[in-house]
Formats: sequence, C-alpha cells, structure tokens
Amino acid sequence: MKSVMITFDQAFYERIIETLDRMNCRGFTYWQQVQGRGSKTGEPHYGSHAWPSMCSAIMTVVDDAKVDPLLEVLHAMDQETEMLGLRAFVWNVEKTI
Amino acid sequence: MSLYEGAVKKPIMTTLCFVAVMILGLFSLTKLPVDLYPDIDTNMIMVVTTYSGASASDIENNVTRPLENTLNAVEHLKHITSESRENTSVITLEFEYGNDIEVITNDVRDKLDMISSMLPDEANTPIIFKFSSDMIPIVILSVQAEESRSALYKILDDNVANPLARIDGVGTVSISGAPEREINVYMDPNKMEAYGITVEAVSQVIAQENKNVPGGSFDIGNNTYPLRVEGEFADPQQMKNIIVGTHNGAPVYLRDVARIVDGVQERAQKAYNEGVQGAMIVIQKQTGANSVQIAQDVKKMLPTLQKQLPTDVKLGVIVDTSDNILDTINSLTETILYAILFVVIVVFVFLGRWRATLIICITIPMSLIASFIYLLIADGSLNMISLSCLSIAIGSVVDDAIVVLENVTTHIERGSDPKQAAIHGTNEVAISVVASTLTMIAVFFPLTMVTGMSGVLFEQLGWMMCVIMTISTISALTFTPMLCSQMLRLQKKQSKVFLYLYAPVRKSLDKLDDLYARLLDWGVRHRKTVIASCAALFLASLGCCSGINSEFFPTSDNGRVAVNLELPIGTRVEFAEKISLELTRKWQERYGEDMDAINFKVGQASDDDTFNSLSDNGPHIINFNISFVPSTDREKGLQEICDEMRADLAQYPELVKTDVIMGGQHGGMGGQAMASFEIYGYDFNQTDKVAKELKTKLEEVKGVAQVNISRSDYQPEYQVDFDREKLALHGLNLTTAATYLRNRINGATASYYREDGDEYDIKVRYEPDQRTSVEALENVVLYTANGKGVRVKDVGTVVERFSPPTIERKDRERIVTVDAVLSGIALSQGVAAGNAIIDKMELPQGIFIKVAGSYEDQQESNRDLGTLAVLIVILVFIVMAAQFESLTYPFIIMFSIPFAFSGIILALFLTGTPLSIMSLLGGIMLIGIVVKNGIVLIDYILLCRERGMGIIRAVTTSGRSRLRPVLMTTLTTILGMVPMAVGQGVGAEMWRPLGVAVIGGLTVSTVLTLILVPVAYCSFAGNGVAFKRKKMKKARELNAYYQSHKDKMTRVKASGRIRHHHDDSQES
Repeated sequence: MKSVMITFDQAFYERIIETLDRMNCRGFTYWQQVQGRGSKTGEPHYGSHAWPSMCSAIMTVVDDAKVDPLLEVLHAMDQETEMLGLRAFVWNVEKTI
Repeated sequence: MSLYEGAVKKPIMTTLCFVAVMILGLFSLTKLPVDLYPDIDTNMIMVVTTYSGASASDIENNVTRPLENTLNAVEHLKHITSESRENTSVITLEFEYGNDIEVITNDVRDKLDMISSMLPDEANTPIIFKFSSDMIPIVILSVQAEESRSALYKILDDNVANPLARIDGVGTVSISGAPEREINVYMDPNKMEAYGITVEAVSQVIAQENKNVPGGSFDIGNNTYPLRVEGEFADPQQMKNIIVGTHNGAPVYLRDVARIVDGVQERAQKAYNEGVQGAMIVIQKQTGANSVQIAQDVKKMLPTLQKQLPTDVKLGVIVDTSDNILDTINSLTETILYAILFVVIVVFVFLGRWRATLIICITIPMSLIASFIYLLIADGSLNMISLSCLSIAIGSVVDDAIVVLENVTTHIERGSDPKQAAIHGTNEVAISVVASTLTMIAVFFPLTMVTGMSGVLFEQLGWMMCVIMTISTISALTFTPMLCSQMLRLQKKQSKVFLYLYAPVRKSLDKLDDLYARLLDWGVRHRKTVIASCAALFLASLGCCSGINSEFFPTSDNGRVAVNLELPIGTRVEFAEKISLELTRKWQERYGEDMDAINFKVGQASDDDTFNSLSDNGPHIINFNISFVPSTDREKGLQEICDEMRADLAQYPELVKTDVIMGGQHGGMGGQAMASFEIYGYDFNQTDKVAKELKTKLEEVKGVAQVNISRSDYQPEYQVDFDREKLALHGLNLTTAATYLRNRINGATASYYREDGDEYDIKVRYEPDQRTSVEALENVVLYTANGKGVRVKDVGTVVERFSPPTIERKDRERIVTVDAVLSGIALSQGVAAGNAIIDKMELPQGIFIKVAGSYEDQQESNRDLGTLAVLIVILVFIVMAAQFESLTYPFIIMFSIPFAFSGIILALFLTGTPLSIMSLLGGIMLIGIVVKNGIVLIDYILLCRERGMGIIRAVTTSGRSRLRPVLMTTLTTILGMVPMAVGQGVGAEMWRPLGVAVIGGLTVSTVLTLILVPVAYCSFAGNGVAFKRKKMKKARELNAYYQSHKDKMTRVKASGRIRHHHDDSQES
C-alpha cells in the first residue's frame, strides 16, 4: 500500500476525480483549499490579491501496482497544461486499520 | 456553494431565471405609458378670494395682505405671488419641489381657517385651487364649418365632444369658438315704458309660464292616474302670446313689447382655422392618464366622427402633443439601437472572438429590459430621461461582463476546463467587479436625493442607473460565467478568413500597446514634466470657461408656436379678426407646406368654457396656435420662424402687446430662454417708469427678441355713480338700482327652454340697438316699490373712468416683471446684458430690481448639483479607499476627475454648446466613469508590485497589460454616447449637450489618466519607498544604538544582572 499525495490547481479537480475513478482508486481525502507554490517555476497559489488562484490536495491510498499507472496519467495531464501546475508524491503506508 | 458556482453548475436554472426577468421586463414595457418628461408633481397652490365691489387696492389691503401674512408661515414655501384686481384676489403659493402637496394643501387650509374671520364680512371664503400639468390640453381639434355654423355647438357637442369624452382617460372636452344657442327676448324700452312693464316682471312671468308641474295622483274607479300640468314651451315663438301685464284693463302680450330671437349667444369667442371660421375642441386628460394613448385613441376616432357630421363641417388637428412625444421617443430609441451596435463592434474588435462578443452583448438587453420592471413598479413612464438613462447605461453595463470574461479566458488559455475556469475566474474578480459597481452606485444613488426641479428629473435617472448597474453586476457574476462555461472553448485553430480579416486589427492593437508602453516608460522617467504639463492643460481649459455660456434647459424644437396679441382695450372684435386673418394669410403663404395647422381665437370666452375662461380673453385679445411639421422635415428652425413672426408683428403699431411663444407655452422645459427681471417697489408710477425704461433698453440689446411687461395699462370703463340720498328718497337702494341696470344691459336669465333633452337659456334684455350709447344707460327707468318710474340720470351720473391695473405682488411686495425673450444668445448673456443696463439706471429710492425666473432656477440647480458633486466625490473616495484599504491610491485616482471637467469645458467650448443642466448631469456621471479607469490601472500596478516587481517595471507592465481593457470600456461608453451627441432626430437638442459633455470629458480624462495616474503613482510610491527606507534606517540605527547601550538603559538588564549574581553566588 502506498499513499499518493496529489497537489494541483483547483481547476484540475474534476479531471483528477475522474482519473481516480477510472483507475479504481476508491478511497481518497480531499482538501478543497490549500496554498502553496512550486519549487522551480510553479506560480504561487495563495488566494490573495496578487496570486488569486488556489490549490487543492488529494491524498489517496492505493495498491502498489496502481501507483505507476496513476502517476503516468497525472504526469501526462500536467504536461498538457503546464501553466496550472500538478504534482504527486508517494509515501509508504506503514500501517492501516 | 458560491453564487457563481451554483450558476455554472445549474445552467438551466440560471438561464430560466434570466428568461423570467426578461419576460417580466418585456411585459412591463408593454404596460408603460409614454411621455416626454417624468411626472412632475405640482408645486403650486392658488387661493382665490372674491370680494364684490372692492377695487384693486381695497382688495390688496383688506384681502391679499392679511392672507399673504398668514400663508407665509406655511412650511416649504418658496415664493408667494399675488394678483389683486377688481373683485378678486388670487394668491399663488409656490412650494419647493418634492414635498407632498396634499399635506401642504391641508396646511394651507388650516391657515385659511385661522384668518377667515379677519377678512371683510362681504368677502367670500377663500377657495383653494391646485395647479397641475393635467390642465395643459393634450389634443386641440379644429373645426371648419360653412352653413352649419349657427348650429355648430350642438352638432359638435352631440357628435364629437360626447363620444370623445367617453374615451378612457379623457378628462374634459370643451368646445370653444362655436356660440351656444340662446333664446333672446329683446325688449323695446319705449314700449316697456309706455305699458309700465319691466324686464324683471317679464322674466318672472316667463319663468312662471314655462313650467311642468306634477299634480299628484287621483283615482277613477279602480285605477289611479297621475295628474300633470304641462306648461313648458314647445316652440320659443309660443312665448309671444304670454300675457305679461295689463294696461288700462287690456292685457299686454309679450309680442307687444318684445321680439323673440331664437339665436346664439351675443358675446362669444370666435375660432378660425386656416382662415375659415369654425370652432376648436380642447381635450384635457384625467390625472395620471396616458396622454399618448389618449391622443392616439382620439385620432383613431376622428374618421368615424367625421362621417356623422354634416358635409360642410370638417375636423382637423391643431395641436397633438403625442406626435412630438412619439417622434422624440422614437429618435431616442434609434439612438439606443445605434449605441448598442457601436458597443458590440468595439467589443468584437478588442476581443476578436464572436463567442465572447455574444456572451457580453447578451448582458446589454438583459440589464436594460430588467429596468422596465422597476419603471412599472415605480409608476414611471418611458420618457426622455428614462430612455437617455438607458443610452448612458449601455456603455457601462458591459464593463463588468468584460472583466469576468477576460479572466475566464485567461484561465481557459492556461489550460483549465471551461467550467472550472468560469467558477474560479469569476471568483477571483468578483470583489473588484462589485467594487466598481459600488463606485457607479456611489455616483448615481445621490442623484435620487437631489431636491428642487432638477431633482424631479434626476430621481428617476438615479434609481434607474442603480437598478441597471445592480442587474448587470448580478448578471456578470452568474449569467456570464454560466455562458462562458457553456460557450467558451480553448481556441485551437482559427479560420483563415478570420485571420486574414482580423490580423491587421490585431497588429495595430499590438502596436498601440508598444507605443503606450514606450510613452509610459518615458513618462515615469520625466515625472515633473508630465505633471507640470497636465497642470498647465488643466489651467488652460479653465481659461476657456469664460467663453462658455450657460442656460437652464436646452431649447427644444417641438414644432409649436403660440402667438398672443393684444389690441388696445375697447377695440371691436371685427378689427381684431381683420388683423388676424391678414396675419394668417401672410404666414400661410410664407411657410406653406411646413405649416401643419394655423388657428386663432378672438373674443370673450363664455362662462362655461372652462379651458378658455382660465386664460386671458376678451374682444381685443387674439390667441394664435400654430403647429409645424417635425423639425426633421423642415429647413427653418423654430427659433428662426419665431424671429420672423416677431418681425411681422412689429409692423403693426396698433398692437399694444405681442408675445410669440416658442414651444406653445411659457415656462416648463424646452421653451425659449427668458431673462426675467423683477422690479420691486410700492409706487405705481415709479415702477412703471423703471419698467418702461428697462424694456426700451433691453429691446436694443442684440439677441433680445421681445420684451414683455407684466403690468397692464389702466382700463377705460363706464361707471354709474348713484346719489344715495336721491335713491333713498325714491325708496331705492344701490343694489336694486344696480340690478336693474345689469338686467337691461347684460340680461336676466328668465328660464330655460328645453328641446331634445338639452336646455338653452332664455335671456331677457334690451334690444341691441337700444344699448349702444351713454344716453341709453341714462334713460333706463328704475321702478320704485310703489311702481313709480325714475330715470338713472335723475338719481345718478354716468362717467368714464380708468380702473387701475391688477396689483401684482411677490413675497409680500408690489412687483412688475419685465421678461426678455432671448433668441440666439444664451440665458447667461441675456442676464448679463440686463444687469449691465440696470447698473447704469438710476433707481428711485425704495425700488430694486432682481433677476428671477429660469435664471433663478438655474442658479439653484447649479448649487444643488455642485453640492451633489462634492457628495459624490466623497462617496466614491470612500468606496475606493475601502477597496484598496488605503488613502493614497484613491487620492491618486482622483487626479483623473479634474481632467474630466477640463474635457467637458473644451468640448463645450469647441462645439459652442452652452452649459446647461444636461451637460452638468454628464459631468456628474463622469466622476464615476473616469475613476473606473484609474481603478483598473492602480489595481493591476499593485498586483505587479505585490508579485515583487519594482515600481517602474510594475507601472509599465501593468500599463501594457491594462491598456486594452481601459480603452475598451472607455470606447464602449464614448461610442455609446456618439449617437446622442450627433443625433439629428426630433428632440435631439435636449440630450446633445449630455453626449457632448460625456464624450469630451471622458476622452480627455482617459488619455490623461493613462499617463498621469501611473506617473503620479510612481511619485507617490517613490516617496513612499524613500520614506519607508528612511524610517527603516532610523529604526535600524535606533536598534543599533539600543543594542550597544542596552546595559545602561534597561531595568530588565539590571535585574538580570542581579539574577546572574545570584546564580554566580550559588555556583560559587
């Protein structure tokens, strides 16, 4: 089991949910409004006057086998619309109940 | 879920909500009455008191003065004017506009109750009479007749007046110029004397004989029958055989002493149409009725009515107010459509996408149509003000939608899905959209609070703009994002044709961006030069101020002229007719096709003709009513025509007073400008002299077309001075004697002759040829109680006297008004010329001259609008300060306001338009419009600064990025106004100054705002940064000082040291 943390511009929300559905990743946790900025070029998403856009974050815990296909799809999505910004990070899940 | 998210996710609901609003709006549109101006509540109350037998000065002292003193205490009173003439006192109370006239009327009534006991016993109770605009006739019909002339009144009454009065909303229909039927019993004074019969006895006998008397019921057998005695005459000639008395035992029949003429009233007004005698039918509406609808209904009915009339009677239309109203409204509607077209073109050019253009343009009709709902709820009408308001709004309603659409497009181009882009894109700009609407509301809401005459006009405009702006904002935040999510797509390919056509536009727009960026770059590096030259331009424009004249309301050409002429009193009506016919022929020849109708009336109006008896009338007074074809169909302007007519009239020295009234009525809006001077002073002779001198000198001024003095000349009249002692000797009193005279000359109404359900007066009096000389009066026989006859000349004398003129007063002082009608010069010039003359005149002690009339109104509204402008500036500042959370930025943006005014001044100066209330209105609206540009610029500069750019870079970057939105919103407003400014339609002269002012002000202010505001920002921000640095440096130095001297200064340190000591000691 791995947990995948996806942070993205709000506009991606529907597409990401669709992707998760398609990949049979049922469980997820969604934070509607989070702030952040990219390490290199990513525009800040602060919801402020200067940087009005906002990010969202989704954490989904999936089987190890699903991680790579999911990341591939997300990467493709990010490449298509670079300006918006989408990142995913994978952790090991040590224990669940 | 936010508003826009809901709207985007539920497109059907959103669409249908707006469809519902549109349907309601269109429904309201069909129900709205059409009129020229908004309903102006009356602000005048007249108090009429009669006191028989009192002369003008008696009336002034005993009735008018006490009443004036009491009524002066009524609240909201602006002016109190009065006319005291023989037998009557008429006090006119003028109140401030915008107060409830019902409440005021009650106040007036209470005050009258208080005073009525103080009035002379013989004076009647004062009557309150309310003025209203409903008294102005909406349609005047002309009637030409040949053979049927003698029976014209009955024909018209039955076949025209009655059917017309049944039309919904018609108030009164009065017929004038057609004398009514009357049965005249002409008595021969000599025969009367011989038989010892009096007029009174005859009329009493006629009254007794001409009666139907019910006799109750009586029973015969099983039946009950009513009993009646029918004595009413079936034919006037039956009266001949009445026995009116006995002489020497023989009966005296009426035929022995009188002849009976079944004719018409002796003294009646005559009406001529196109030089042919006939009649006039005047139609007034009920309060609150729709005048255009009524006029249309009346005209629709005319052909049917014409069919029922004898062939020689022809109906026509002299005055139809609805034509002008409809023409004006139509040309304004055309203006609005052009404005919409221009705005659509601008939006398309700047956006370059038809889908985006469509989305924005849907907002326009939606907001405009929704405002009709407000109009219907608020009892408004489609009028010049409400439609101008639509025209003004067109440019502004698209602004919000443009801002939203632009941001959504940016999101889509960044790769968002249209739906998400619509939600988030709207979310980001929602606050600034609401803020910019609030600035507009800050401008228009105070308009609803203006008082006075201008307040009546602007109240509706203010509310409508607030409603339209609110609707357009709601639509921009819900409907526009919804449409964006449905219609906008990421454009992946553009068609070749489009590219070919649009490429040059895009290229030139890009070039413009570059040019502006370079200019701005230069400007921010030469701040002092830029600011100095802007200030110089502002001062230079102020210099043009002196070249601009001012007027109250623009003069409008409604195609109507009224001419009132006065011959010396006592002139026979035939002579007046002759002159009138001559003038008619002359004008018919000169204006030919241009003239629609010419009509005049002359003579004494009958008592039951309400409309005409209220206006001045008499055998020596001639009233012309002339209407011309709409201004678009003729070459000569109405003003030119009026000047020509005045020149014609100047050739008749026998006319004592001539008054050519452009527009058909004095006062009100759109008439010819008139400079009024009020001469206050008690002494008649002195004020008369001053008035005449002022008149002569004013007539010499170029541009003064005619001068009228309000006070009329002394009237010649015959009076009978009875000797009371002699009357008493004969057992007579003055009233009896006077009644005898009146019955013989004016006649006694004996009874009524009834025929076909109509009643006609039976009048008994002397033969006409027996009452044409002073001797006839002297020979009138008065009968004493015991039947003895005595002649008037034995108990009194007949003398010719001059009765004093009407005594006019204003604000409790005697006054004469001198009105100068201006043609070709503005009101301010006329007043200035008058003041120059007055300065040179030597006024006697106790006499002073004041400028009044529309100049006073103008000054008052200018003051009101000035206060309003200050109020608006403060409100706008507050809204901006709240938005930016700063006091500096709104201040910088406010720099664009003075240039709006210099733009207006320049535009008015170059086009030679006088400054009127309409151009001032334009100026006030500009306060809101021009700061919008500043807001857009400053907002983006701040954004760039927050993103970390330096001052100059932030300014140039945002300048380049915001140039197009600023140009787009400005151009939509300017082009929306162009049809107004260059309009040639009917009534265009009213709103042209508004268009000119807005275009001029907005152009100059936008060009300068684009340079000056960024430059001013640089200066302020530069200073701000320098100040901050200084402050930081100081703080740093202070801190360094503090750090190095910490030991000596703080007690914490000292206590710390103690603790250290303590620790040390512990350790040790």
